[in-house]
Order: sequence, then C-alpha cells, then structure tokens
Amino acid sequence: MYEGVHAYPDGRATVARFAKTAAAYGYEGVVVRNHGDAQAEYDPERIGDRYGIDVVPGIEIRTDDPGQAGGLVGNYRSKRTIVCVHGGSLNRFAVEQPAVDVLAHPMADGDVNHVLAKSAAENGVHLEFNFARVLRAEGGERVQAIGALKKLRELVEQYDAPYVVSADAASHLHLEAPRELLALGEAIGFDRGAIESGLAAWGALSDRNRRRREDSFVEPGVRIERRDEE
Amino acid sequence: MKHLPKHLRPRWRYVAVGIESWPGADVDRRAFQRALWFAAQNLVGDVGSADIDASLLRFRFADAAGDAVVRARRGEVERLRAVLATIDEIDGEPVGLSVRGTSGTVRACEEKYIRRPPEAFEERNVAFAAAERTASVRGDRVDLDLPEGRVGATALDIRDN
Repeated sequence: MYEGVHAYPDGRATVARFAKTAAAYGYEGVVVRNHGDAQAEYDPERIGDRYGIDVVPGIEIRTDDPGQAGGLVGNYRSKRTIVCVHGGSLNRFAVEQPAVDVLAHPMADGDVNHVLAKSAAENGVHLEFNFARVLRAEGGERVQAIGALKKLRELVEQYDAPYVVSADAASHLHLEAPRELLALGEAIGFDRGAIESGLAAWGALSDRNRRRREDSFVEPGVRIERRDEE
Repeated sequence: MKHLPKHLRPRWRYVAVGIESWPGADVDRRAFQRALWFAAQNLVGDVGSADIDASLLRFRFADAAGDAVVRARRGEVERLRAVLATIDEIDGEPVGLSVRGTSGTVRACEEKYIRRPPEAFEERNVAFAAAERTASVRGDRVDLDLPEGRVGATALDIRDN
C-alpha cells in the first residue's frame, strides 16, 4: 500500500522523514505530491534505499486557469511519475485529461456529479477519497467532509470510476498506518476492501507509469521486446 | 458488590499506542484521556463510546515521545483504532498516534509493545538546505527549528557543523 504526502516545503516533514515514518507504519511506498509552487529537493533512490520504501516523485498541479493547467500537465507528465491535479475549480478539466493520474480532493472546494464521475471512468483519472478533514477537522466541517465522501463513494460505485485513498499528510505526525485508515474508513461507511485498493492504487499507478516511461514502451499494449541474438 | 461470574465478565483487549510530538511539547495523562473521550464522542457518539468502553490504563510521555495502554471491549478494537486515528492534537499540541499492537492482557501488551523511554534529544547546529539551523536530534530523527516553524527531517537531510 502507498500513501500520497506533501513534503517540505509544502509540508512540515522532509521526504526522508515521511519515508522513514511510512516504512515503519508498513507502507510499501510514498508518493510525493507537493504542489507545483512548493517542490521538494530530494533523491528518491537514496531515500528509498535507506528506509526500504518506494519513493515516487509526483506533483499536484494547482492553478485556477484550465489553460495553464493543460500546459503544466503536458510539461510535468514526462518529468514526474504521478501527476495529480488540485481539485476544486479544475475538477471538470482534470477528469477530461487522460494524462492526469489523480484528481486530488475533488470534494474540498468543488463538487463531482454523474457527468464528471463518468468522464473520470472513461479517461482513467483516479478520484481521490481524501481523509484530511475526516482526520483533522471537527464539528460541521467534518460532518460535511464525511457527507461529501459518501456522495463521491456512491458516484464511484455507480460508474466504476478508479480511485485512490489518502490521509493527505502534511507532516509525519499526520501519517496514519494502513490499518488505522481501514478502521476509520469502516467507521464512516467504506468497505475495508475499498480503502485497501484505494491505497494500493497509488502503487499500481506508479508501476504503470514507470513502465510507460521505459524506452521499450510504444503505446498501451505495445512494447518492444528484446531478443537475444546469438 | 459481588463479582460477576467469570463467563459473564466483559472481555477486554489492551491496545498499545505510541505518541510522537515536536520537541518541547507537553502532554499529560488527563489531557490524553480527555482527547480520547472527545474523539470517541465526535466520531462514534454516545452509543459507540459506550460500546468501545475505552479507558486509559498506562500513560507515559517525556521528551516529545510516549506510550499508552488503552483498554477496550473485545470486538471493538477496530473502532478504537478509528477513534485514535482522529486524534491529531492534544491540548493544542500536534501529536501523531500509532497503534503498536493489541494483546489480551495488560502484561503481555506492556512486555511486547511498550519500549524503554527514548534517549533524550541532543540540541545541535546542523546545515539544512544550505543554511545553519538549530535542531533537536535523536538517533536518525532530526527536528529542525526553521523560521517558518518546526520541520521533521532525518539524518539524510542534514550535514553536521
């Protein structure tokens, strides 16, 4: 299982500290999904080797202008393994772009309806079940967040849209072990299996994208095999 | 009052919880207990809180790290996990809680999951992102004091001066 995190300077822990903590909690990988204007400097392989965890470079594109977002997606697609789009006003833009991997927190300052869910399913854009406000908000705000997750869950089930799950940690203190997220998910109405596959989906996306970036990759389903000539 | 016959007594599970915070944070037993009650109340309500029937048996916190043993009804440990996950600060101090494990007796729980208190912090000047900073260092963990606030790092991120 993998988790998507905001590392320093976007968050309050460095990539290394996240990797250390996530490895101790039993994660197989962390996706660094810093916002575009707060990128971290780090060496994924060195950190990954040290703590025994897969460190995946990602980005969360944040802008209000779909035109600019289009440019940024094109730009970062080849530079980062996982490309997320900061949800809200860009929800519609993101679900229509097959080049986008994850639409982050679509319910935070925006909404998802049947049209968007369908489009996300067609384009393979993963909708995120973001647990940040369930974990760290209280009162009415949390009630709304749980309600929004329920709505998103119903749409995702209806249209079989792909999804990821994340605690959206901005420090090592925010990280939750997978078992805690499973328990919390269950408490707010999710299947345990759904949370598990949502955490695993980050890893599946990284694997797929890494394969696509190999030289032998031609297009989905077509790959150049090496043949040993005598 | 007479004790209940053994087969009618509630069955308990003992959950070992690790607590982590920033250097200088102070969390006491009462505050932890209160945070646990409120978190249960907020997530699962009166009915759920009564079902879980959580109580704090052991608590220790010093030097920004600690551990606790929380008792819950057998069969309610998953809900207790969910409640613990939603505790993100205690008395205004940001904390990270993690469940280390569960056992059927307090003794087994303590022996298996409660560790010796961690070594104390060492205050040091370190180089982080090409600037000199003060940091609290404990083994591989490095908590930096930056102008924008505390930042968690590890030995990989710094150079010693």
